[in-house]
Amino acid sequence: MTEQTFEQAQVELEQIVERLERGDVGLEELTKLWERGEELYRRCAEQLAGAQGTIEELARRLDAQQT
Amino acid sequence: MKVEATEVEGRKVYSVRAFNQGIAGYIEKLPTVWVEGEVTELRRQDRWASVFLTLKDPEDGACLAVQMPRGQFDGLRLELQNGERVHVYGRPEVYAQRGDFHLRALTIERYGLGAHLAALERLKQKLAAEGLFAAARKRALPRIPALIGLVTGNDAAAKRDVLSAITTRFPPAHVLVAETYVQGPRAAPAIATAIADLCARGVDVLILARGGGSFEDLLPFSDERVVRAVAECPVPVVSAVGHEQDTPLCDLAADVRASTPSVAGRLVVPDLAELRAWLDRAHAGLGRGARRIVERHGERLATAHDRLRRAPLLALERRRARLDTTRGRLLALSPRATLERGYAIVRSGDALVREPPAPGTPLAVEVAGGPFGARSE
Repeated sequence: MTEQTFEQAQVELEQIVERLERGDVGLEELTKLWERGEELYRRCAEQLAGAQGTIEELARRLDAQQT
Repeated sequence: MKVEATEVEGRKVYSVRAFNQGIAGYIEKLPTVWVEGEVTELRRQDRWASVFLTLKDPEDGACLAVQMPRGQFDGLRLELQNGERVHVYGRPEVYAQRGDFHLRALTIERYGLGAHLAALERLKQKLAAEGLFAAARKRALPRIPALIGLVTGNDAAAKRDVLSAITTRFPPAHVLVAETYVQGPRAAPAIATAIADLCARGVDVLILARGGGSFEDLLPFSDERVVRAVAECPVPVVSAVGHEQDTPLCDLAADVRASTPSVAGRLVVPDLAELRAWLDRAHAGLGRGARRIVERHGERLATAHDRLRRAPLLALERRRARLDTTRGRLLALSPRATLERGYAIVRSGDALVREPPAPGTPLAVEVAGGPFGARSE
């Protein structure tokens, strides 16, 4: 669970919203789903807001090509 | 190497060995050059250390023996055939033992559009037959890549286009760039190595980008090594090589073909603004859905409570109604209703009188209005 990608979180959040919109959820389960949904939302939002992109150069391997 | 001559009767005389070595030493100092010619008498065997061929001048048939170490020759994967026009890069060399002279090739390149096209077509057919270009092999790109690999030349344009497209659309993107040769004889192995290196570093999508160039410039991207590296790449590959009209073979093997490096950049990342909007919608949907469910449960509870409260009264009423009905049915069955219609019940003692009694028998008569005594006559 901790290694969940944004994409997986996205899919799970969509599924939870769909279930809630369909409405056939008991109150106890609703609490669980809603909390999980909020957590996923928070995680996605953090990933979108916090992460600064990086551009890294791979060291060139000229020696490997010189035969 | 110092070549010693001996003095014989006033002459300087060289041994054959010394002479050949002297020539070899002299010739080896000549520069490395490109020689153009037609391949003839190509001889290659697995157990030989070298590959031999004769380069023929198409104008006047002049010949030049060429040798190349077999490993290097195989490494080029030219699948050369007799009659093809090539450029051989090498230096002259003398085999001192035999006094033979040849060109020692460092690399060989196919030359001339026709020969290239034919070779390309052969390779294309071969790889297509292996299924490398099959539509079923194409994979979907990740919706949000964790690490994007970019293989590109150090020519600024293609690299800059890809990177700016990516960072404009999706600023949090992580990109790992492998700069490499993108033209010339070193390019194909270098590109294949770069692809493998990036995959080893854990990229989950890979872009192969190169700006436009001449047919020859783009040839490395049709090289079998590159095409195979693309096809065998464990993650999806987006190919953006050359211009729209160029179709290097790596484009056919890639999972997605982009018309330009910018398009490739846009293809591999989602739009951050759209993603944010999606996230907001999902969050709103989460709250709305939860609220609606709570409301629905609340309504159901209220209805149940209401019914609960009304239940005793309802039960009472229902019982009373049933009582009334029963009473009605009871009344309908009772003899009283018959008496009301003018009939009478006649008793003698406790028994009902159904036969005419003996005269003088005392009788009790009951009519609707009440009982009275009588006597039969």
